[in-house]
Amino acid sequence: MRNPIRIQSAALRAIVLLLAGLAAVTAACNRVTQPASSGGRPRVAFVMKTLNHPFFLDMQRGAEDAAKRLDVDLVVQAAEREIDVEKQMQIIENLIQTGVQALCVTPSGSKEIASAIAKANRAKIPVVVADTRVDPKAAQDAQLTLASFIGSDNYEGGRLAGEHLVKVRQGKGTVAILEGIPGHETGDSRLRGFRDAVKASPGITIVASQPANWERDQGFTVFQNILQANPSLDAVFACNDLMALGAIEAIAAAGRTGKITVIGFDALEDARKAIAAGTMDASVAQSPREMGRMAVEAAVQVIKGGTPAAEQKVPIQLITKQSNQ
Amino acid sequence: MTPVAAPHWSARLARSGRQLGTLAGLVALCLLLWALTPFFLTTSNLLNVLEQTSINAIVAVGMTFVIISSGIDLSVGSIVALAGVILGSALQAGWPVPLAIAAALAVGTVCGLVNGVLITAGRLPPFIATLGMMSVARGLALMYAEGRPISGFAEPFRQLATGRVLGIPAPVLITAGLYVFAHFVLARTVFGRYTYAIGGNEEASRLSGIAVRPYKTAIYGVSGLMSAGAAVILTARLNSAQPTAGVMYELDAIAATVIGGTSLLGGEGTLVGALIGALIMGVLRNGLNLLGVSSFVQQVVIGVVIIGAVLIDTALKRRRA
Repeated sequence: MRNPIRIQSAALRAIVLLLAGLAAVTAACNRVTQPASSGGRPRVAFVMKTLNHPFFLDMQRGAEDAAKRLDVDLVVQAAEREIDVEKQMQIIENLIQTGVQALCVTPSGSKEIASAIAKANRAKIPVVVADTRVDPKAAQDAQLTLASFIGSDNYEGGRLAGEHLVKVRQGKGTVAILEGIPGHETGDSRLRGFRDAVKASPGITIVASQPANWERDQGFTVFQNILQANPSLDAVFACNDLMALGAIEAIAAAGRTGKITVIGFDALEDARKAIAAGTMDASVAQSPREMGRMAVEAAVQVIKGGTPAAEQKVPIQLITKQSNQ
Repeated sequence: MTPVAAPHWSARLARSGRQLGTLAGLVALCLLLWALTPFFLTTSNLLNVLEQTSINAIVAVGMTFVIISSGIDLSVGSIVALAGVILGSALQAGWPVPLAIAAALAVGTVCGLVNGVLITAGRLPPFIATLGMMSVARGLALMYAEGRPISGFAEPFRQLATGRVLGIPAPVLITAGLYVFAHFVLARTVFGRYTYAIGGNEEASRLSGIAVRPYKTAIYGVSGLMSAGAAVILTARLNSAQPTAGVMYELDAIAATVIGGTSLLGGEGTLVGALIGALIMGVLRNGLNLLGVSSFVQQVVIGVVIIGAVLIDTALKRRRA
């Protein structure tokens, strides 16, 4: 051959790729669930928004508890980034190929998920939606069949937060809001609930309402900017705790700790600590673990031929320093 | 685009030897997955993988042109988002589908051409110019869509994603057609030859009379156009145009290109390689999903594959030198 180096290149490349593949498989071995040999155990897939957020890790734990109790073969997967609707769709498409008998999903995008659910419907796989509701119009346009929706009453949670704020500030003061990713049903409902509760008190004015995309670092920078524009701000409502915790750091940096009422959402471990320490006033607690459990239970119910309630509410409550103890 | 003489047969053999290696990697990966899971080697799953790969593969077409010319384009993901929301709002405003698509493609091309002008006339390094455009296009997309997704389109447009011809999904057919055309342009036209020449030695190209500036500008225009093309498929697939779409697409496209044997130093590379590279990434993701492997592990594996492929390239170049 005239070109031995090139031929070697070909061979070497093949070997490297093979090795990479083998490495992947070795890494995977412990996690592989053998679908073909699950013998009679129902197979359920749970596709979450992400697995690098405590909320969804709790949900995963609840789902796994239920799976163990009900003897279900459960596969939990999520995209690398929470807002990656396309990757979530790919995961669902791929899991449909593995012949799961039911699919639980927490949609990354309330409208975008419709295409993926339509594919599951076509494959005759029942779908249980948890946490974030599918946009009703998108669901109708795609003629989706949903087995059940398991979710917190986010509107009610926002309302609880708003009422608490009015009580703490005695009906007057300026408020800023940190929103989640715009266009998400979860955040929008919390906002609506909060605004509706605050509207009743004319003494309370909302001076700023900005998205910080659910993230802690963005909560910090966005709130820092809000503080610059509104130095005498009295209170902040963040649509999740990560953003609230970011805001608390911004407040500390501005030397105003204890002067601004902070209310978050989710009652994460860190938020509960902040409430105990007095840097945060309150947080609305969802029960992601309960949500995961209920979703898997609903999925199993459908597989066994039952009909779960079309909508199941997961309990929600306000955590304050008093209730936290 | 006048056809020019094909490269010398020995050069073509060398190039296909390289591609053969990448192809062997893809085949090995497929065999491995076939052995590990009964769900991999089915017609419906293979079509599924091809459909999922189409978006990255289309972006990788433009990226291949850019990287062969010794450049880089970090703005592709943001251009996908911007072209997507333009397309989405045009459709919702009731524009005819072809016109709405044309508007999106035009916007993408313009963004790319601006990159090109900044690099040639403005003498900015491609990394900086496209890094700036990455932020500008993302911001414009968010401003234009007011941060919200634009969704819900009529059935004729959605056919671009859901339609099938002889059982083959439309995105796969579109991608295939695009690759055949782009391969012809790169391998058989003056534009393609000059792309290699500029990447191989820009100064020599200039001295030998190639109008480097307009060609280079056009290369970035191609990349913008391809990003907008990917946006069309993505929007149809999700039935939604998101201003936050396309994050990290630049890295996926660069990965597909370099796994396929295109050198970041420019002057060499092929579209066939980029296509195989994109397929390797798509098959890996699909296979790891089928096996129930967590997304954390997937990221590690994809990183290892990218590094492995380029390590080989570098090692071989050193030996040849």
